[in-house]
Amino acid sequence: MVISHEFDYRRPSSLEDAIGALAEFPGSAWILAGGTDLVAWLRDDAVAPDLVVDIKDVPGLADIALDDRTLSIGSLVTFTDLIESDLIADHAPLLAEMAETVGSTGIRNRATLVGNICSAVPSCDAGPVLLAYDAAVHLAGPAGERTVDINDWFVGLRQTARSDDEVVTRVTIDVRSHGGIYVKLMRYAGEDLAQAAVAIVVRPDHDFRVAFGAVAPTPFRSARIEDALRGKALDAALVGRVVALVADEISPITDMRASAEYRTRMTEVMLDRGLWAAVGRLSGEGLRYGERVI
Amino acid sequence: MDLNFTVNGETWALDVAPADVLLDVLREKAAVKSPKIGCERGDCGSCTIIMDGRTVRSCLVLAVEADGHEITTVEGLSFDGLSRLQGLFLSNNSFQCGFCAPGIVLAATELLERKPNPSRHDVQEALAGNLCRCTGYEPIIEAVLAAGAGGDQ
Amino acid sequence: MTATYPFEAESPTGDLATVGTPAVRVDGVEKISGAAQFVDDIDFGPGLLYAAIVESPHAYARIVSIDTAEAEQASGVVRIATGKDFPYKFGMYMEDRYIFAQDYVRFVGEQVAGVIARSHREAVRAAKLIKVEYDLLTPLLDPRSAVAEGADLIHPDLAAYTHVPWFFPEADTNIAHWRRIRKGDTEQAFADADLVLEDTYEVPRYAHCAIEPHVTVSRLDPAGRLTVWTASQSPHTQRHLFAQALAPLGFTHKDVRVITPYVGGGFGGKAGVSMEILGAAMATLVKGRPVKLRWTREQEFYNTYQRQGVVAELKVGVMNDGTITAVEHKLYWDAGAYVEYGANVVNAAGLSATGPYRVPNITNDSLCVYTNLPPGGPYRGFGYSEFHFGLESHMDRIAEAIGMDPVKFRKKNAIVEGDELAYGAHMNPSGLHEAIDKTAAAIGWGIEERSDNPNTVIGKGIALFWKAPAMPPNASSASFLKFNEDGSVNIAVSGMELGQGYLTVMAQIASEVLSVPVDKIRVETPDTDRNPYEWQTVASHVTWSSGLAVEKAALEARSKIFDVIHQVYGFEDDSLYLEDEAVRCKTDPSFSKPLRDFVIDGIQTDDGTWRGGPIVASGKFMPEFTNANSDPATGQGGHPNVHYTVGATGVVLEIDKATGRIWVRKAALAVDAGRAINPDLVKGQITGGLVQGLATVLFEDMRFDEGGRMMNPTFTDYKIPTAFDIPDEIIPIIVEVPQPDGPFGARGVGEHTMIAAAPVIANAVYHALGVRITSMPITQEKVAMSYLATTMSEGNQEE
Repeated sequence: MVISHEFDYRRPSSLEDAIGALAEFPGSAWILAGGTDLVAWLRDDAVAPDLVVDIKDVPGLADIALDDRTLSIGSLVTFTDLIESDLIADHAPLLAEMAETVGSTGIRNRATLVGNICSAVPSCDAGPVLLAYDAAVHLAGPAGERTVDINDWFVGLRQTARSDDEVVTRVTIDVRSHGGIYVKLMRYAGEDLAQAAVAIVVRPDHDFRVAFGAVAPTPFRSARIEDALRGKALDAALVGRVVALVADEISPITDMRASAEYRTRMTEVMLDRGLWAAVGRLSGEGLRYGERVI
Repeated sequence: MDLNFTVNGETWALDVAPADVLLDVLREKAAVKSPKIGCERGDCGSCTIIMDGRTVRSCLVLAVEADGHEITTVEGLSFDGLSRLQGLFLSNNSFQCGFCAPGIVLAATELLERKPNPSRHDVQEALAGNLCRCTGYEPIIEAVLAAGAGGDQ
Repeated sequence: MTATYPFEAESPTGDLATVGTPAVRVDGVEKISGAAQFVDDIDFGPGLLYAAIVESPHAYARIVSIDTAEAEQASGVVRIATGKDFPYKFGMYMEDRYIFAQDYVRFVGEQVAGVIARSHREAVRAAKLIKVEYDLLTPLLDPRSAVAEGADLIHPDLAAYTHVPWFFPEADTNIAHWRRIRKGDTEQAFADADLVLEDTYEVPRYAHCAIEPHVTVSRLDPAGRLTVWTASQSPHTQRHLFAQALAPLGFTHKDVRVITPYVGGGFGGKAGVSMEILGAAMATLVKGRPVKLRWTREQEFYNTYQRQGVVAELKVGVMNDGTITAVEHKLYWDAGAYVEYGANVVNAAGLSATGPYRVPNITNDSLCVYTNLPPGGPYRGFGYSEFHFGLESHMDRIAEAIGMDPVKFRKKNAIVEGDELAYGAHMNPSGLHEAIDKTAAAIGWGIEERSDNPNTVIGKGIALFWKAPAMPPNASSASFLKFNEDGSVNIAVSGMELGQGYLTVMAQIASEVLSVPVDKIRVETPDTDRNPYEWQTVASHVTWSSGLAVEKAALEARSKIFDVIHQVYGFEDDSLYLEDEAVRCKTDPSFSKPLRDFVIDGIQTDDGTWRGGPIVASGKFMPEFTNANSDPATGQGGHPNVHYTVGATGVVLEIDKATGRIWVRKAALAVDAGRAINPDLVKGQITGGLVQGLATVLFEDMRFDEGGRMMNPTFTDYKIPTAFDIPDEIIPIIVEVPQPDGPFGARGVGEHTMIAAAPVIANAVYHALGVRITSMPITQEKVAMSYLATTMSEGNQEE
């Protein structure tokens, strides 16, 4: 459908100007980065902004940088950038594994990691992985800069901790040694939204992060499952115990993409297979990143 | 708003509205018809163009975003005869109705520039966003694999 | 059996130069260079207007009022149309549809009003300002409740509707057509059978998903000629229906012109007339201005023809030796709000619902039931895909029940030339047995395969298919052919190049007769003012029917060429032949006259005068052995189908027992093409059709909510295959048992390749997991949850 309403468009060349533009249209300005969600929503009349602020000319937002143990990913970094980055491959391979499941090449060439968590749909792929990585989201607004813990980022269905007048500048993650996996249930092998997703990060001391996508209004981590796993060697009994917790921890819905029962059953299967694979990867054995367990 | 951009090597200066989508502007004002309107929400890939060396969904790009950028479509690949890849599409019957073919040729062109000798999986991955309802994909995959293998020789 | 065909085409003998070779597509360079023009690519200049349609949000309602006042004042609006402007009915086989809704809307999406504006954006905006008040009625969404006693009548005036003579509507019901077949004594046969198996199979609705949406541009010029550029499989049928429906406005056939450039996929969805009539009608309100109407992808899903859903009650009787003695097949079709085209799908399925088997006792009931869902219509397979799901699933189950190998069971009963069909006519020559054997061999039938992965199991399946073209008994084709100065040839036909390679095959047929190479033959897409008649490009019939028309035109041209040579040189016609673009003579090997020397200018004789002149020719074909006159109560007596194309499909698949994920590791499909005029193009039909068929069983599914609204009208949620979602290996097998009346023995294969895809998956899933799924689609979710239920109930029993 043609975009049927009108809006203003600006492409500021500094962060200050971007923030200033947002402030001029409180609540009715939308930030445009890759546009793969926003333009689709404009076509569907799902959003009707007065102003679209294209941040692609804002300097410094397209970088991937490593500073000691902190990896920083700017808000213009696309999923293709993640797939092609050596820094990501070496230090945060789960991000590349996740990125390969997002949309298709033509989408990944435009869509950004940060845009994905700003859209914050329940099935967003970046959510569970950034949760498992204990990421921090960095914002800039009229009152200056602030950082939000990813655990506090998703506040409701399609709602985030970002204020209307703030711009996300980057996310950062701690890249200490780890193994991990992103397991995504799709209706077929081609491009699809997650019906359910599990992200796991395990550190050498067997400190686990286990996050879920598309089985609740927001992506979330399960403290109960992580507590049950912490510090323990994986065995069938342990995996069986944590898999048995899944049904209580998630709150999936039945919709046209999957039934709640199937989502639950598959989340159990994905956690089971994912845990073994993540621990295997920690020790450098088993599946390589990109190889799938379902 | 002013839109100054390059399409297949030719510069254009156009006046567009912020709500105009790049796909429509290319087709209606910039004299290229090979990017097709298929779903208008980024699912089908028939509007694929190459922008600054990367394939993008022109249905999900505002025309004003293209200001200052360089765009290639299949018309631009075909000025001096068919590319080797296009020739292989022809000999492999890699299209039927031909509607998705421009987008698929561009997606495969981008792949071969980045991975001159792709695996079957690479080809499937590169084309997975371009829907074809006619061919069952197999002849397309075979043509792209052949183009890749030849690139090594 | 060939004697049963009153018509026999000339069947050239000896070696063929072009037919049977993989000639490169004549439309290839255009399509691969971006030059191929589709309707939406044609420029109409600054005068072009755009239309947007106001659609019903309700499945069933009475229209109380339509308020267009605000929209009329909106920027850019030129004209608004409603049902009052066009109170005219139309329909292909049954006139049950209006251009715009009149008093009632009968499905979500039905067109209520249209806006014509100077830009697309203004048209869409104004359409949102039109206010329609509805009085809501309770929709009927399921065919079995729609035929229940006391159900509301969706079309109370059904009895008064005009329809073709082979439809049998039941007045004062929602049954628009009931095709009955009664042959032998089914009741007695069931009583005598060693085994009777009975079950119900369910098939939902499906969408064609051509990547090009429907689009049409219409212009009524000041002189009164209405030209419609349209993405259509049916230019002449469209012209005919436009002229008929708009006759009250003074149009006759000569005033209406339909131009159809390349079509971006059809699959039946662009057959007949659907949205195009809106554009044609609206253009009459803005004389002189072209009006473009293009469906969005969402409209493409919910407001074009859909493949009809069906509930199939199937009962089959068999003897212990494997002989099938009786079939009772009751098909309740969810035909939607209007059945003007879809009722013929119902008819076709009813005639052939035994499948490709020899069955002495048959009771088929195929019921076309009105519901408040979008209109059903033609879709590649035309009813056969739907009933094959249950039928071919059932055949495996019967074979297992009597302890017989499913392949042996099928071969025992597979129909052969001369067997009597359900309606009393006889089966054409076919290579069905060869197709079964080759398919079984290709998938290693009978060889157990085990997976190395503990999570997965491997299964194999096989299924047969058949299909006849479903068309009026006198559906015909015609062609014009002319030579150019350089000996090249132009052919005008009105079949559509949908991607199948029709233009190339027509060029090959003419090439074979005239010895002119394919790359010197241009076959043009239709313009109904200039190209001769073709019924439609549907039913897998154009290679056969239009091919015969082209062959005849080429033969006529050849005969005119020989006449000129005879006049000038005196050689007898029967001593002449064409070779390498020249006339040669059997009795004088030194004689050679290149075509380019005379096909326009003629030949100068000794006295300086000229003989001959431009070589032009025409050809037509109509089957003259068919008729649709049968007893309504039994279906006996007619000869409704020209012939059947048959074949077999087999798969090897691997299933993840926990997730239900299915990988098709190998798929083989053998189809009897009679003769493959272009084997590469036949293989293209096999690969493409098989993948499309596999998608209907593995992924696709139209979902409707309780209000009759389609829930997944996007590719985001209606999943058609990507490059990842195809078999690891596809083995195309071409069988060639010639069709005696076909061009060089050819018969159609376009639809057949998807027909057995669904049951072959059902059978392989059963083979792998022991789970029999009787409703489509067989998604990974359904497989996983069905298998889980089986293992849980087995676990319980063990306790």
